[in-house]
Amino acid sequence: MIACDNQLTARIIPCLDVDNGRVVKGTNFINLRDMGDPVELATEYEKQGADEIIFLDITASSDNRPTALSNVTRIAQKLSIPFTVGGGLKSIDDVKAFLDAGADKVALNTTAVQNPNIINQVAEQYGSQCVVVAVDVNRPEQSVAPRIYIHGGRTLVQRPFYSWINEIQERGAGEILLTCMHRDGTGLGFDCELTGEIARNAKIQVIASGGAKNEEHFYDAFAAGADACLAAGMFHSGEYRIDQVKQYLKAKQINVRL
Amino acid sequence: MSSVVSIVNTQAGNLYSLKASIERLGCAVEIADTPDQVRGERLVVPGQGHFGSVMQNLESNNWLPALQQWREDNKPLLGICVGMQIFFSGSDESPAASGLGWLKGRVERLAFPKQPMVGWAYCEFSHQDFRSGMPYFVNSYAVRESEQCIAKTAYGEAFCAAVKDNNLVGFQFHPEKSSQYGQALIQRALQL
Repeated sequence: MIACDNQLTARIIPCLDVDNGRVVKGTNFINLRDMGDPVELATEYEKQGADEIIFLDITASSDNRPTALSNVTRIAQKLSIPFTVGGGLKSIDDVKAFLDAGADKVALNTTAVQNPNIINQVAEQYGSQCVVVAVDVNRPEQSVAPRIYIHGGRTLVQRPFYSWINEIQERGAGEILLTCMHRDGTGLGFDCELTGEIARNAKIQVIASGGAKNEEHFYDAFAAGADACLAAGMFHSGEYRIDQVKQYLKAKQINVRL
Repeated sequence: MSSVVSIVNTQAGNLYSLKASIERLGCAVEIADTPDQVRGERLVVPGQGHFGSVMQNLESNNWLPALQQWREDNKPLLGICVGMQIFFSGSDESPAASGLGWLKGRVERLAFPKQPMVGWAYCEFSHQDFRSGMPYFVNSYAVRESEQCIAKTAYGEAFCAAVKDNNLVGFQFHPEKSSQYGQALIQRALQL
């Protein structure tokens, strides 16, 4: 018998930031360091128990350069878990090209802010499950209102954070990827207060991102209400394995896939 | 000898993952736009698109009589997600459209507050051919009960994760996105 009324597990999602076909991970979006081949890393993460993979071409968003479709196809050939691509997607045609190349979902950030209607378009044509809206938010101090940035964290947007979070959902996004820039690369853990507040109130799933350095940070985010957690550096460096983090979570009564 | 598996092209999204996943099982995979292109003895209806548009596409490409014949011949047929949902009479997703009506029941919207359901969920199988485990789900609609149900899971409420009727198998989840576990399920469903 299925006893519990929700069998869905908490997801762990490694993120591959890619530049020129190689995985890189910056500290606060600066000082990129080469971390290896994306296909190699993605298949290793599948073996470790990654629930999905997000594949972001951070420089594409900054420099208006589309992410290489060939990398997406190479990953699709090897992976049998879902993966999301983002970075430099400007139009429905771009989205179509990436989905046709084998991606399961697209992550829209700068383009969604500049042309919010694209969220509706993708949701209508491909379904909500295909569209993840990525929000880069910065709140250096608890006392200030969260601010939204685009272009890989370089451009401040004059748009109220909470109304944008609502608008994303109204327009038909399937998930929100909330990256807290003030935590990204710091190793201080996710901003559980902000992420939990959004996740508990949203009618779609919310992925916590930015700041994870150890297994306890994942527990804190899930306990606060996050539906999924994203991390890069702590996995890329080999310091932690995904299954190791999941074992820790399971021992603390978080439902995960092992 | 490797088997040939044909995938019905419902024109509702990329079939790349599904094709690659069946190929990894050692099969030759062909995408069939129309029934006359089917050469395999095994057929898969993929899991993308809306219930109504999938049914409409199947109808306009003459798939409906071909699928009916396939079922009468009791040849292996796997429906994934919406490809399974069309086995039933209809869906709340597209109230005006009729399904194939092979199985009793109706596809309904799940009650959980966060939609769509996205992620991995434990499925308890009650059929000896399949072992229980966690596949990957992406759906807002599902069939709550079916006489042919062979696996249950829950998202806000219990629903039917898999059905089986002779050589007809349906998965509400996406086995092609469910890592090694999903590969084994496809292998069993298509009797490879």
